[in-house]
Parts: sequence; structure tokens; C-alpha cells
Amino acid sequence: MKIAQGMALIGEKWVAKPKEFRVQYQKLKSSELVTEYTPGLEDAGLDSDVTAWRYAWKLHMSTRSESRKVQADELINIRVVDECNNPVAYYVTGENQIFNPK
Amino acid sequence: MEDQINRLRVFLDLLLANGPRMLIGLIILFLGVFFTKWLIKKLNTRLSGFIKNPATRSVIVNTVGVLLYAVVVAGSLIQVGANPARVIALIMFVSVGVIGILVVFRPLLPSLPFKAGDVVKTGTLLGRVEGTTILNTRLRTFDGKTFFVPNKSILNDVIINYYYTKTRRVKINVTVGYDQDLLKTKQALEAVMIEDARVLVKPSPQVYVLNLTLNGIEVGARCWVDNTNFWMTKCDLTEKIKYRFDQEGIAFAYNKLDVQYLKKSNVSRSGTLDEVQAYQLNSPEI
Repeated sequence: MKIAQGMALIGEKWVAKPKEFRVQYQKLKSSELVTEYTPGLEDAGLDSDVTAWRYAWKLHMSTRSESRKVQADELINIRVVDECNNPVAYYVTGENQIFNPK
Repeated sequence: MEDQINRLRVFLDLLLANGPRMLIGLIILFLGVFFTKWLIKKLNTRLSGFIKNPATRSVIVNTVGVLLYAVVVAGSLIQVGANPARVIALIMFVSVGVIGILVVFRPLLPSLPFKAGDVVKTGTLLGRVEGTTILNTRLRTFDGKTFFVPNKSILNDVIINYYYTKTRRVKINVTVGYDQDLLKTKQALEAVMIEDARVLVKPSPQVYVLNLTLNGIEVGARCWVDNTNFWMTKCDLTEKIKYRFDQEGIAFAYNKLDVQYLKKSNVSRSGTLDEVQAYQLNSPEI
């Protein structure tokens, strides 16, 4: 096997390298929960997972509510995903993280 | 006295005969200069969308400016009463000369080793180049100060242009204790770098064991990123390395000093240091 092939195999099987990140969340629209992304799917994603998680946390702090019911402007199930919509592990804990799970 | 009155009379006759034309000539000059300046500014703004190279754009804008100024001055002189053929010939000669200097000789002038937008370090100043003129360069530091640096001092000094190449290497060194898993440390560092979207695949990230120090093992992480991402990537990688080490149970080394003291119960507490040392030297147990 050539080195380039070996490196490609390592990149594919061992450590995944995402290209961009988005914050995925759900919110109420006409009494229905819809899934949205920021930045939007038509816009370029963020190139840093640290930035994306910080953004997600700020969105959570800005829109959270104490109520168990989902409020009109509340963002729930906030997490960071990559370009393939796979959840990205939270770099602080190394595990999947969801802000404001409801 | 009569001579002076005659002179005044001649002057007044001249003024009455040519005054209106001179006034109109002056108006043409002022309005022309004002309009030309406005037009040059607009042209520069419009061209910045098409021509990215500031030097090329500057040559085009300045050439148009010279031609327009020439037209304004010619029109003003002709209005005042100058010979149109001679005025046009003179203006064309001067214009061709100036444009020739701009287009032909400008590339031969010593150029600065950076362009607007580059991040450079000259002397003790580190900042972004906002613009250059013939005399000085405007540099804005990252804390918001603006410096006007004479080009002469720049050309005579060592300049670091951080944007000359597209990529730059990130260097992060960590020190772990001798009791830590060195292999796990290296794997964690490499994984953190590979997982970051901004770290380039080629050249691939590398981890080196740099030094065996008094406090621990110094390990170096090296990777390449685009110049524009350098600072944020370095900071983010440093943060992620800290958290990854916490998750993997890898402890950083701290500066520490082992202090040993010998205790002998018969030594008086009020004894001086010399007496204590003498006792220790002479004591058979020690």
C-alpha cells in the first residue's frame, strides 16, 4: 500500500475530519416543532467546532425558559452538527451534548 | 504722479476688457478641479470591485486624473485668452510625460515587500497595512493604534510579512509528568490536530518528544493552517488539548521542588544555622 493510500485510510477510519459546522436546533412554528440550522444550509458553515459550540451555548442562554413546555421563541435540542448532519462531540467532555433538551 | 495714474488707467482698461474672461477662466478651473477630484474618488471606488490589485488600480485612476486635470487647465487657459494650439501642445507634452512616469517608470521604483491588507512586523510594530503612499505606510496595530511609518525606515529594516505565504505553522508545546502515558499523550495531541477542520492535511500534523526536562517530558505539536486562520486555530487547539488531556486522564507537569530536611530532636530550636550544620556534620547518624 502506498503512503498516500495509508493516510487516506487513516483519515477515513480513525479520525474523521469535518469540513464545516452548524448549530442545529428546534423551535415552534405554527404549533409544530421544526428543525433549523444556523448558519443556514444555503450559507457557508463555521470552520471551528469551538466557535460553533460557543455559539450554541449563547443561543441556549439567550432563549432558554424555566417552563417544561416549549415556548414560542425558545430554541430546544441545540447541538452542533457537521456537513453530513452527524452530531459533533462536545470538545469539553468528548461526548455528545445537547443544550436545552426537551 | 501722472505716470502712475496712466498706469492705473491702463490696468483698469485691461481689467474691464479681460476681467469677465479671467473670472470665467477661474470658475472653470475651480469647478473643474472639484469635479475631477470627485470623479477620481468615484472611479477608484468602482474599480475596486473589478481590479483587486491596488497598484494597477492606482495607475489607472491616476492616469485618468492627470488627463482630466489637463483638460480643465487647458480649458481655463483658453478661456483666459491663451493660444489654443500652444496650450494644447504644452498640456499634451506634460500629460504624456506624467503618464509615462506613472506607467513606465513606476515598476522600476523600489517596491515595499507587502501590500494593503497584509499583517507585517517592522521593528517593534506589529499590525495590518492599511495603505501606502510614496512617503509612508499606514499601519494599524491590533489594539487600534495607527502608525505612519516612513518607507525609508521600512526599506532599511528587516520586515516580517506574515501574509507573504498562504500557510503558517502552529506550534504548541506541552509538558507532561514522567509518570504519564507518553504514547497516549502523543496520540491525543495528534487526534486533536487532525480533527480540527482548519488544520491542513498536507503537510500532515506532527508530534515530537522534544525534551526530558526537570519537570517532565516536553512534547511538541506542529501543524499547518491558512494564514488567516492562524491565531484562532492556535488558541482553539490549545483549549482543546487541555480538555482532551482531562478526558484521557493525562496530567500536565508543574514546576516542583523537592525539599529535604533532616530533623534531630536534640538540636536546640534557638541554635544558629552554623551550629546546626556543625551538629549535622559531626553527628554519626547522618
